Order: sequence, then structure tokens, then C-alpha cells
Amino acid sequence: MSQDLLQAILLWLPPTRGETAKVTTGNPAINGPTPKSWLVEHNNWVFLLPTVLFFVWYQVYPIIRVVWISFTDYKYLTNDPANWVGFDNYVEALSDPLMWDSLGRAAYFTAMFLPGTIIIPLLLAVLIHGVQNQRLATVYRVILLIPAVIPSTLVFVLWKWMYNYQIGPINHFLVEVTGWFTYRNAPQWLGGTDLTLPSVAIMEVWWGLGYHSVFFLAGLAAIPKDLPEAARIDGASEWQVFWHIILPRLQPIMLILVILRFGTSMGVIDEYLIFGGFNRESPTYTWTIFMYDQAFKTGLWRQGFAAAIGMVGSLVMMVFVTWLIYIFRSRD
Amino acid sequence: MKKEFPLTNIIRHTLIVFFMLTILLPLAWVLLLSIKSMPDSMRGNLWPRKFDFNHYAYVFEKIDTLPQNLFNSIYVTSATVLITSICAILAGYAIVHLKPKGSLFLVTVLVLSLYFPTRVVSIISIYEIQDYLSLINSTNGLILPYITLNLAVSVLIMRSIFQLIPGELIDSARMDGAGPWRTLWLIGIPLAKNGLVVIIIVNFVTAWGEYLLAATLTNDQEVRTMPVVLASAQGGMGQWAWPRIAAVYVIVVLPGIIAFAMAQKLFFKGLMEGALKT
Repeated sequence: MSQDLLQAILLWLPPTRGETAKVTTGNPAINGPTPKSWLVEHNNWVFLLPTVLFFVWYQVYPIIRVVWISFTDYKYLTNDPANWVGFDNYVEALSDPLMWDSLGRAAYFTAMFLPGTIIIPLLLAVLIHGVQNQRLATVYRVILLIPAVIPSTLVFVLWKWMYNYQIGPINHFLVEVTGWFTYRNAPQWLGGTDLTLPSVAIMEVWWGLGYHSVFFLAGLAAIPKDLPEAARIDGASEWQVFWHIILPRLQPIMLILVILRFGTSMGVIDEYLIFGGFNRESPTYTWTIFMYDQAFKTGLWRQGFAAAIGMVGSLVMMVFVTWLIYIFRSRD
Repeated sequence: MKKEFPLTNIIRHTLIVFFMLTILLPLAWVLLLSIKSMPDSMRGNLWPRKFDFNHYAYVFEKIDTLPQNLFNSIYVTSATVLITSICAILAGYAIVHLKPKGSLFLVTVLVLSLYFPTRVVSIISIYEIQDYLSLINSTNGLILPYITLNLAVSVLIMRSIFQLIPGELIDSARMDGAGPWRTLWLIGIPLAKNGLVVIIIVNFVTAWGEYLLAATLTNDQEVRTMPVVLASAQGGMGQWAWPRIAAVYVIVVLPGIIAFAMAQKLFFKGLMEGALKT
């Protein structure tokens, strides 16, 4: 069933089948009526130990620590103990127009990126799903996943060069091949212009194009073949088949991708560090950069204030993620 | 199979080929840039008039820190992939087949961590931790935070892979007297091979391209990894002339693509079993 597609991994849905049942049943010879001895129980815990150790050390503790830091005037560089300042940092962050501007920029980017990264791969997947030559279909699938194995920074660097006004092939195409622009008025894609966020969004759509198509292809493969066939025999047009039969069955995957990509696009930081810099007017100066700037770059080393910015940004994101999950779950 | 109307088919393949070219052209462009002669690199044409294959030898001979940076990347990535995979196999196996108390809680926390922008926000206190451990500006120090970048996803993938292995199979091995470690080694790992390929690739891709932590926690060029070097390199003259920097790029991007091409079949199987359970 496509409903538990990725369920185990990415979404914490109620355990429809499996999880809780598995815990209580199972082979009586192993975890049956006699309670496990202390030794067996703890021997089993050894398997979880490395994961728990690293996870607590570098994910759980840092977050708890950041929450604490956000309530203090903590600085890395001083030897004075940090003072508890209550909600001062939060008050300052919330009353700073830059906080809201920077959140707005992240939201603007998400609004451009999210539809593109869902709809285009969906169309591509539907197209490839109809390919009947199996060898060709395999070739397509392999090409699709190539961008997914290019590490993040290498994608950004590649596109930084693609958008370059000197040697970039995009402007070369616009100026010399088509003649639509001259070198004087050729668009400046990156570097804080209005085009910067759309340019980054195009790059991100390119990056996810193949990977997301593979998701949709898996979903399409799970639809029983006779379902669309039957509808066609009943006289439904291809469009109706797509709209009423295919699309509803792809909805779970679509919503998982929406939730996942919403999270990644609101929290983009590496791209903005590489393309943008720390100009407060730049559209790439989002809440993540605002936080990073305050923590590491301004020279003031105001980690307490930076932590508060990070928490505000995260909480706003979490509200929307929860809302999205709520929509998702209520439709099941 | 229904025979398709030829026109639909032509439109379909034209559109698909368009998307395939969109994916491949940027990569083809950078590959060609790395073998262009200097004058050609300043012209925009995709196909050079004169090839020059010497840029690859040049970057290794003339950019002092490059071999060191490349070594750093290989070292950090291998250590990360190895340790994360071991953690994920052990935890995935235990959560499904040993079910120690608290494993459900662990899974819940792992899933929750995927929704929170942990990577972004935790950088403030990870800097502090590394500073406390004197791991700032150390290549070794990068390995520790790198392990956790994909730890949650890796454990959850291995968990769904191990869920495909029938409990009876594991139980019968243990009835025969094999301990949990032997069972995992002899039965679990061989059956979880495809999932292992997926988490190795996922962790490789993340560690090989990680920027935020590497750029924040290191200062000196010699201790940095390739992504930071490439991202900070300004194309222009001398060592960083465009074809040379493109050659560096190709050297860095190729291992991943080759590894994927070789493991492609296993990767797809594992992706279907682990990440795309249908």
C-alpha cells in the first residue's frame, strides 16, 4: 500500500499495522511469558548504545543547550559566567524588524521552490511511467538519480558557476546564442539581486528533480494496472484518469514531500552562505543567516541573541510543519 | 500492453529527453570546461576548439594544499560512513528484533529530530562543544558531528530493512544457540545488504559535500575539506583559472557518480525496500 510509503522513516503516523503489535506479540520462546532477565535486557541495549551516545552528544544536548543559551547573555569568548536574562533575547528578536523580514524571505523562497519541486517531478514521473521500452526506462531512471548523488555543496558550486556573468553558460546562451540580452543588461542572477532567490529555487528544483521523480515513480508502480484501464474502457479521458484515479493515489507521497521539503527550504543555510554573504539587505539574509551572523560574524559574539533568533525561526517552522502534518493525517 | 498512438509517444519522449538534458547539461558543461584550453575557457561555447588535458596534472602539482584537502575529505568521509553504518546496523537490528525497553521512544525521538532544523540551530552549541574538546580547526573533530548528520535517517532505513526479515528466521537461529551478535552477523547483515548500500551512499553524499560545519569549525586551508575549498575558490587567474578549478570539481564529483553507477542495482533495490516501502 502506498499509504505507508516512507511511513516508517519520515513520518510518525500512528502504527496502523506492525509497531505496537510487534512489541507485544512475537515468539514466546524469546520474549514470552517469563520476563527477560536484567542481563539479557541490558545486553540488548548495547546495540543501541553507539547510536544513543552520538545522538545525545551531537543532536539532543546541543539543542537543549541552545535553548538554555537563548535565555542568557552567554558569549563564547568571555570568562564571565553567563547571566540568566529571561526572555530579553526573545523580546529583542521579536521586536527586531529584521527577524520578520528574514523569516519572510525564507517563506518567499519556500513559496517559489515548493510547487516547482512537487509538480515538475510529478509530470516527469507520469511521462516516464508510460515508457514501454524497459531498457530506455532504466536509462532514464539512472539519469534521474545522478543529481541525487552529487553532494550538496558541489551542486551549489556548479550553479554558482552556471549563473556566473563571465563564463556562465546561462548568460552565454542569453547574450551570444539568442541575442536577447547584451553584456550590459544581461541578468545578474546571484549576488543579492531580486533574481537571487528565484535562481536558488531553480537550482534546488534541478537538484531534487530526479530524486522526487523516483519517489513518484514508486508510487505510480504501486497503482494496480487494471484501475486506469477500467476507467478508460468506461470512456474516461486520459485527463480524467490522471485527475481522478492517479492523482488521489499519489497524494500521500506528495504530502510527505511537501512536509519534508518545507522543512529543508525554510531552513536553508549553506546556499545562502555560499551565494549571499552577510549583507542585511540581501534577499538571502534569512533567519538562518541572521542567526549565524549574530553567532559568528558580527564580532559581538552574541550567542544568546543568536540562539533566540534560531529558536524563534525553528518554532515558526514547527508550527507550520505541525499544521501540514495535521492536514495530512486528517485526510487519511 | 496497449499500443500507444505514435504522436503521443513522440511528444512523451521529446519531453523526457528535454528533462534528461536539463539534468545532464550542467554536468557536461563543467566536464568540458575542465578539458578546455585557456582561451576557449573564456569563450562561452560549450564545445571547445582546442582541448587541453593538462589541467588535472596541474592542479595536483601546483596547488600545494589540494592533495591534503582531498585526503582530508576522503579520511573524514570514510570514518563517518563506517561509524554511522555500524551504529545504524546495530540499532536497526536491535529495534526490530531484540526490542530492548525504550526502543520505541528512541524511534520517536529520531523521527522528531527530522522535523526540527537541528543542523542549523545546533551549530551554536556544537561550536562550543568542539571548543571545549579542543577540536576547533581539526580535521578529526569534524567526524564526530558528521556521524550524527544522517544518523537518524540511517537508523530508520535499517529499521525498515530489518522489518522485512521475518522474525521467525532470526528466532530460529537463536533457538539453535546463536547469540544476538552471531545472528546479526550471519543472518541479519547478509539479508540487509541492499539497505546497507543505501545508507553508505546517503552518508557518503552528505559527508563528502558537507559545508556548514566544515566552514564554521575550521580556519586553516590545510585542515579543510574539498567542499569548503571549492566554495571559497574564486575563479579567475593563475592556479584558480576556470578550467583548473573545473578540473578540481570533476575530481571531487566523480567518485560519487562512479560509486552510484556501480552500486546502481543494489541502490534501487534498497531504496525500494527501505526508503520507498510500497
